[in-house]
Amino acid sequence: MRATRSFVVGFILGVGLVAVGSAGAYHTRFVADNCNSAPPTPTSFITREGSATVALRARFEGYQWAGGCWNDNDRDDSPNDPHEDAATGGEGGDCSGFTFKVWRESLTTSDASFRQWGMLRYVHGPYTAASFKAGTGAPNVTVAKASLIKMDALASYGHIGLIYATNPDGTDRIIEAKGEDYGTDIWTRAYRGNPSYSGVRRTGWSS
Amino acid sequence: MSQRESLHRPPSIGRRRLSPVLAGLVAGCVLASLAAVIGATAVAQRSPAGARAIFDATHLPPLLRLQGEPVRLTYDVHCALEGVDDPEQSCDVSGTIHLRSGRHDTFRAIPLEPASTADRRELTVTVPANVASSREGFEYYAELREVGGAGPILVPGGGADAPHRSLPLPDPTEVDLGVHTFGSTARGMRVVSAPWGDGVSNVGLEPGRALPAIGASAFDVDDDGSVLLLDEAHGRVLRWGPTGTGPSSVQLSIDRRLADMALDDDGSIYVLESVAAQERTPLVRHFDALGRALRSVETAEPGPSQLRRGPRGPVVLQQPSHQWMPVAETGTPTAAPDQARRAQVGRPLRTGGEVVVLRRADEILVALVSNGRVRESWRVTSETALAEVQLAEPLGRRLVLVFRTYTDATGEFVVLALDRRGVATQFSTPTDEWAEAAPLGRFRISGRHLYRLGSDGSGAFVERYDMGAPS
Repeated sequence: MRATRSFVVGFILGVGLVAVGSAGAYHTRFVADNCNSAPPTPTSFITREGSATVALRARFEGYQWAGGCWNDNDRDDSPNDPHEDAATGGEGGDCSGFTFKVWRESLTTSDASFRQWGMLRYVHGPYTAASFKAGTGAPNVTVAKASLIKMDALASYGHIGLIYATNPDGTDRIIEAKGEDYGTDIWTRAYRGNPSYSGVRRTGWSS
Repeated sequence: MSQRESLHRPPSIGRRRLSPVLAGLVAGCVLASLAAVIGATAVAQRSPAGARAIFDATHLPPLLRLQGEPVRLTYDVHCALEGVDDPEQSCDVSGTIHLRSGRHDTFRAIPLEPASTADRRELTVTVPANVASSREGFEYYAELREVGGAGPILVPGGGADAPHRSLPLPDPTEVDLGVHTFGSTARGMRVVSAPWGDGVSNVGLEPGRALPAIGASAFDVDDDGSVLLLDEAHGRVLRWGPTGTGPSSVQLSIDRRLADMALDDDGSIYVLESVAAQERTPLVRHFDALGRALRSVETAEPGPSQLRRGPRGPVVLQQPSHQWMPVAETGTPTAAPDQARRAQVGRPLRTGGEVVVLRRADEILVALVSNGRVRESWRVTSETALAEVQLAEPLGRRLVLVFRTYTDATGEFVVLALDRRGVATQFSTPTDEWAEAAPLGRFRISGRHLYRLGSDGSGAFVERYDMGAPS
């Protein structure tokens, strides 16, 4: 009887130990299990419409600080990632990694040509929100905020979001990788008139 | 067994007891690991790498326009096929606009035509002159479909029950602001100050090193002048009395992310969250004055942006339709389909009627509307760029209009009290948005005062401006 009780206690302990270990590991497995390092496909042109499609496929797929890999199942496969760790290997991009892939840029900052990155390609790109804000890199330029249109960006030193649509009240619907607690989605924002934000445009759109 | 005996015998007892414990431990680990592997495999199998189909549309409705202006309706349609990775390979789309003069005619179907822009997939139609010139305006909704595939989708979602409406302004009061002079802002009386922190009188910043500062995301003012500040990071509201006493704290069961809030007449609190659970829409939560959860309801659309008190309960401005929808009446939640069916383009006012706003380029059109007819209207033009309209609300016989004007380097809020002759009162305020708040949650009117929510590196605050006696 006592042996049975001890076995049960040990069994519960074992299950508990594995559960705790798995819970920690679960949030670090998305990149390892799903993402790749496939080279991008060079493309001869990009359209704003096509970039909106890239962005919409990342919608609902979560956020990962310093990340850049997601699938398209409309859910965050690594929810509740820790806020303070850039290396948790979760699903999603961060704001600048998301913008880099949506704008289909090159890893070489002097190269303004177009690169189609697969959703599951783990890549962040060379730009931070602050460097986008400064118009760093051959493909990126700063432009007057009043002239921004669909798939142009508003960038501060700590964040960047892309314009998806403009509302009748003058706010914008921004598609952005906002944070671990927010994921990647479209929200109404008042970034345009906020002095912290600058207007940024990817050059070379087909028109 | 005596304590002495037990001290003498632990090794053999330990060994005897340890064996089944160890056996159990090993068995538990093995079984749980197997379950984890199977579970992980299942999760991986549920995570397809292939691209899903996309079918979405955006539309900027011409809610107001000057008399005689031609009207062109445009829908930017996003359509991508399932399993096609190339984002430049989109699908064929078509659409129909259902249009009628005024509010009671029969809808007439007109096909939408593809626009000529190469980098966007637009469907468009010019509103026939006889409809555009109708003095009662016109109503419309679009039916969009993927050729041989998905759809149709209705824009707005309420379709014929709650179409978009465009009203002509026959004789708006013209207000020309010229070039804005930055740097001459007015400070109101600071009625609330709450330092950042985790104490009882502090407001919190949302966690996340990669996250911009977000905190104290909304506020509201009771009819007696009490100020309630939403401290979403701590899941509570802080309340200051009309003479500045406080704060007292009321805990709320909310998701602790950016949210808007509104007080009801009975002192209960509505909170509009901005992040939805998977495949759901954001929640409006209702709490009594003590913070006890009453009910919650999902918004009809995925992007609600503003929560206000309406004539019979809270109303929410929802995107993508950009329509105001009731989310509760006399405390009873309004189900999402009913919200969409009862949507309207103007914000319903507690005093009756509605206010309709449209910012386009460097002008703002605003109208007070009763029974579908424009009662008063203004056209505000500026040589400095205009951003969002934060507030448009009657105060006595005037209309208080608050909007942002900006350059690439700076920005300010402009406050206008408008009457039939033009501008009765005008001043500017700083934007003070060190921390991000709800996009349209920075201003409230209570009594004859305008209240403004701001923040700096030390904390959040609310300032009060006297707008003069309502005339």
